[in-house]
Amino acid sequence: MELSFTSKDLEFRDEVRDFLANEYPSHIKEKLEKGDMLSKQDLIDWHKSVSNKGWMGYNWPKEYGGTGWSPAQIYIFQNELGLAGCPPFIPFGVSMVGPVIYSFGNEEQKQRFLPDILNFNTWWCQGYSEPGSGSDLASLKTKAELVNENGKEYYIVNGAKTWTTLAQHADWIFCLVRTDSSGKKQEGISFLLIDMKTPGIEVKPIITIDGDHEVNSVFFSDVKVPVENLIGEEGKGWTYAKFLLAHERFGIASVGASKRQLLRLKEIVNDLDDESLTDKVSQLEIDVMALEFTELRLLSELEGGGNPGAESSILKIKGTEIQQRLTQLFVEAAGEFAVPYGGPEGFMSNVKPNGPEYTNEVLSKYLNMRKVTIYGGSNEIQKNIISKYVLGV
Amino acid sequence: MDLKYSDEQILLREQIQKFCISDYDFYDREKHVHSDLGYDQNKWKLFADQGWLAMPFSEEVGGFNFGAIELCIMFEEFGKHLVLEPYLSNIVLSGFILDQSSYSMKSNYISGLISGNSQISLAYVEESRTYDHLSILTSVENNKLNGTKNLVLNGSNADNFLVTVMIDDEFSLIVMRNDEDGLSINNFKTVDDKNISQLSFDNVTINSDQIIAKGDEAKRLLQDALYYAALCISAEAIGCMTACYEKTVEYTKGREQFGQPISNFQVLQHRMVDMFIDTELCKSLLFKAMLDMHENNNSKYRSISALKHHVGVLGKKIAEESVQLHGGMGVSEEMSIGHYLKKFIVIDSQFGNSKYHLTQFKNIDERSK
Repeated sequence: MELSFTSKDLEFRDEVRDFLANEYPSHIKEKLEKGDMLSKQDLIDWHKSVSNKGWMGYNWPKEYGGTGWSPAQIYIFQNELGLAGCPPFIPFGVSMVGPVIYSFGNEEQKQRFLPDILNFNTWWCQGYSEPGSGSDLASLKTKAELVNENGKEYYIVNGAKTWTTLAQHADWIFCLVRTDSSGKKQEGISFLLIDMKTPGIEVKPIITIDGDHEVNSVFFSDVKVPVENLIGEEGKGWTYAKFLLAHERFGIASVGASKRQLLRLKEIVNDLDDESLTDKVSQLEIDVMALEFTELRLLSELEGGGNPGAESSILKIKGTEIQQRLTQLFVEAAGEFAVPYGGPEGFMSNVKPNGPEYTNEVLSKYLNMRKVTIYGGSNEIQKNIISKYVLGV
Repeated sequence: MDLKYSDEQILLREQIQKFCISDYDFYDREKHVHSDLGYDQNKWKLFADQGWLAMPFSEEVGGFNFGAIELCIMFEEFGKHLVLEPYLSNIVLSGFILDQSSYSMKSNYISGLISGNSQISLAYVEESRTYDHLSILTSVENNKLNGTKNLVLNGSNADNFLVTVMIDDEFSLIVMRNDEDGLSINNFKTVDDKNISQLSFDNVTINSDQIIAKGDEAKRLLQDALYYAALCISAEAIGCMTACYEKTVEYTKGREQFGQPISNFQVLQHRMVDMFIDTELCKSLLFKAMLDMHENNNSKYRSISALKHHVGVLGKKIAEESVQLHGGMGVSEEMSIGHYLKKFIVIDSQFGNSKYHLTQFKNIDERSK
């Protein structure tokens, strides 16, 4: 056993730090330090800077244009980005649909889609949840019917997807659609790629409690999708979706980002002379340490060629709880000055309310972070998974 | 970064597991709990024969020079079966102090510990409940020792005591026999069925060859031994936590109400999942703490405080949940589950409770990173 990384891994870490110091776009760094919102273009610039470095496929194998990094390198890369306060990657392309395409797509699909994902030329979004299908995702109803028009086959898609993150920016959406309603509900689901410019698609904003427009409803009425956009086999979509959920293990815990938040919280709390609050912060710091080492245990298993099981559910549950507790403690630190709120954009007028500068930012984070225990398989669903697969009940 | 046990460490765990499973039946254990000794003399001999009592000692005094990782493996397995034998008091506390000291006669005492033929207990607690064990009243003046020591682990079985005393206003550690004139010993049971003693010293004669260490060396020896012990019982706690959730899952699968096993109810499933997750988180903190100790990193005290805080809080929570999910059976003395709860009360209060270690964690803070 050994606590430190190998010298080769440490050299790699320095390379990542070099990149963050020299090539990470400074206008993004400045905006984030001021607590300003990032525009679509900012996010594109950020991803492009990583693409230009050749690192967008950080978790992909080399043969598809990825870095082919070891689990330790992937861990270090994500951790350093989090510690440096970089915006999280938009995961829908690089971490979600990309791996599904290179694992289950045909040669033509790989050629057509993968390079644009790695270069961030296409913005992907995810069409999973529906108004009637949240945790019970397999009950989804968006229907895709195969038709033949002049010798060419199309799916005609009808239905609605919801909670679609940043669909307002997206060029493409990957969808789980129902191609068969006769048998078991999981067996009639297919995985379809749809161009957002196709006629019949309508995107409507959903404003969340923080006042932000991050998620959307996406409506499909008689949307004509060429059959070449089907991934793998018809009816196997559920298998691909499950593969996708298991693919990303390290990112979910957000340890690096939480450690950065924790440092800031400690700075604020240290000036407050509030023992009960510093106790809570210390308890949280220990929880972050425990989460970090849970992730490192997983890393050790992966490096040793093991195939761990329930750990990603633990990381999801605890990682998200910690993200939320951090935001709660920031709000607690603000005291009654937590009340004025200017929305996600902050106060637009020149006159700002009295009180600590960080209060607007912490409130928008607090409200925004309520989502993390709900999305990606709610924490209750994660507990069902552990209960079934680890405890065997 | 490598958090995998070596093949030798896995073998050691299997060896201890085998012993615990074949020789540590709960009902057999109960017989020894209520004996004067409080443990099984035959098992202690077996510990010696297996070489377990020699494990952490340095090679020049006849040990195997095993470190924190091996001790934690051992204590984790002990915790699962509520092992009674006095390893902590003899080998971890007294053994560590003697081994690390420059005391000229230490090898005599250590060989007695390794063979299992003699036992030594550490007497360091006085009246204060603040865990500040460096401010003491017991003192030697004109070669006469006077004062009182409390909560001496396994005191009734010890042939010798290591005692913290003030000599010429200097914090010191001395060794003394259990039959010295002027030493009186009162024995009690702890809530987890161990023996503890109260020692009263009334003009006990102390010679200079009984002094193990003085001043900073003595302080450092005591502090390091207490942290080592905190680490070991945290590993033991993790064994207890594992046993608690496993036994609870097993029990709820077998217990039928409303025509079905109560493990079918989601409200119970999620509580058991929480128990499992909390155990895993503590295990992760154990990896950090035992490796910091093993590598002798500056952050070791802070890591142990983090671990001890969490096992203190979460261990009791898991045990209370286990009792609740066992229903009425949970509070019956004949079931093992309630005994784990009692164990956690002891674990949290010994060597700094969760509140104490949270303060330590906060105060040590970044300085030692």
